[in-house]
Amino acid sequence: MKIRTTREQHILRFKTTLRWVLYYLLIFVSFIIMTSGTLYKPMILVPLSIGIAINNNMYGSAVTGAVCGFLTDICCGKLFGYNAVVLTFFCILANLLFELYLKDRFINYMIITTVVSYIQCWLDYKFYYQIWEYENVGRIFVKVSLRVWIYTVISAVFVYLVLKLVNRFLMPREHLTIEEAINTNIQSENRR
Amino acid sequence: MRDFLKSTRFKVMVGFLAFLVGMMVYAVTRGGYSVSGASFINTVTKPFRAASNSISRKMEHTVDKLTNADKYIEENERLKKQIGELNAQLTEYDAIKAEVEELRKFVSIKEEHEDYMLSQPCKVLGYVTNDPFKSFTIDKGSADGILVNCPVVTSEGLVGITVEVSKHVSTVRTILSPDLSVAAVASSSNADQGIIEGNVLSSENGQTKLIHVPKKNKLKRGDLMITAGNSGLFPKDYPIGTILEIGFDSNGLSVCADIQPCVDVNRLTSVIVITDFSGKKEDEENED
Repeated sequence: MKIRTTREQHILRFKTTLRWVLYYLLIFVSFIIMTSGTLYKPMILVPLSIGIAINNNMYGSAVTGAVCGFLTDICCGKLFGYNAVVLTFFCILANLLFELYLKDRFINYMIITTVVSYIQCWLDYKFYYQIWEYENVGRIFVKVSLRVWIYTVISAVFVYLVLKLVNRFLMPREHLTIEEAINTNIQSENRR
Repeated sequence: MRDFLKSTRFKVMVGFLAFLVGMMVYAVTRGGYSVSGASFINTVTKPFRAASNSISRKMEHTVDKLTNADKYIEENERLKKQIGELNAQLTEYDAIKAEVEELRKFVSIKEEHEDYMLSQPCKVLGYVTNDPFKSFTIDKGSADGILVNCPVVTSEGLVGITVEVSKHVSTVRTILSPDLSVAAVASSSNADQGIIEGNVLSSENGQTKLIHVPKKNKLKRGDLMITAGNSGLFPKDYPIGTILEIGFDSNGLSVCADIQPCVDVNRLTSVIVITDFSGKKEDEENED
């Protein structure tokens, strides 16, 4: 049941805009973090794109997945578009899963992020190292891919908290609870 | 009055005044040293005077702060600004100093190799995220005359090759990568040739590998390996690294060696790109 006044619609629009601005600001900051320094770093853009995807509509999720993927390609020196494809696919999938089957819970987010980031690291290892059959290539999986995956999973906790904070203040509630709806009805009847 | 002048009190007072004058005269004759009485008083009163002085100073300081607060705030602001300006000048000076040192090194490359066409010194923008072979990006691109497959060097030695060039940024593949092979020769003998090619194990320690060296060779630990310049992708006789350990390839048919690059690839801040040199091949391949 949707009950919206014009003022509420304005607020909804404003909050939505501000929320997306903040999402993209977070994406930009994550990109900067990923491009600085020489140490191995988490792929923060992966949990971030998944986190955004599970709370928003599918089109937004797909675009965010693509943007995060392109940025990942740039900072990781990969074929431009490779990670965009991977992340767009997983963002759409995550969005669908949360829309149809899963509740917005921390544990569900962590499971999805863990699986997605593992697949992303594995694909990266597969296509960029193992396929070329370098000598001792397995070491790259153990020393680089797995390490990056673990860092990514750890970083996902913080990413979730930040996104939760943004959503808490700026995520408009599309639907009213039954109690709220009844109260709103009573109030409007009283006004009459 | 006459009674007073005749009284004993007057005589005592005059006597006392005379004593004081006499004491004064004595003090004058001491040549600056205190008379014993004054010295005693000074000694006894010293701690009290010190405490009192301290209290009064604090009070004066407090009063001074209260009365001249505006003046001090203004002065403080002025000094802060001055410090800021000086710090900025110092930072600028340090940056210029570092840049001059870098340029000096690059000038030496040009002096030693007159045939080289060098790019402007390129700053390292950052390393490619999570790349085990330490590829990195530089702040110069095609707009600065850089092409794909241009050798990238420092004054110490060869760093790698440009693999992706956009207008203002280029990506450099280093000599730690197994995807880059460089023909090398020992500088001492100028005869023992091999291929410098990175591998997974060596790159973990910032080293690379010399492979495919014939069994009959005169290589020894510490030998400097330089570019052979056979196919025209890299200039001839540019330092690559020194030999650490010599062994056999896994097939046992040829000799290989661990190479410590002349350049610490993990800690680069600026490099230079050789855009042209005598003997450069027009149709470059990613193999020398």
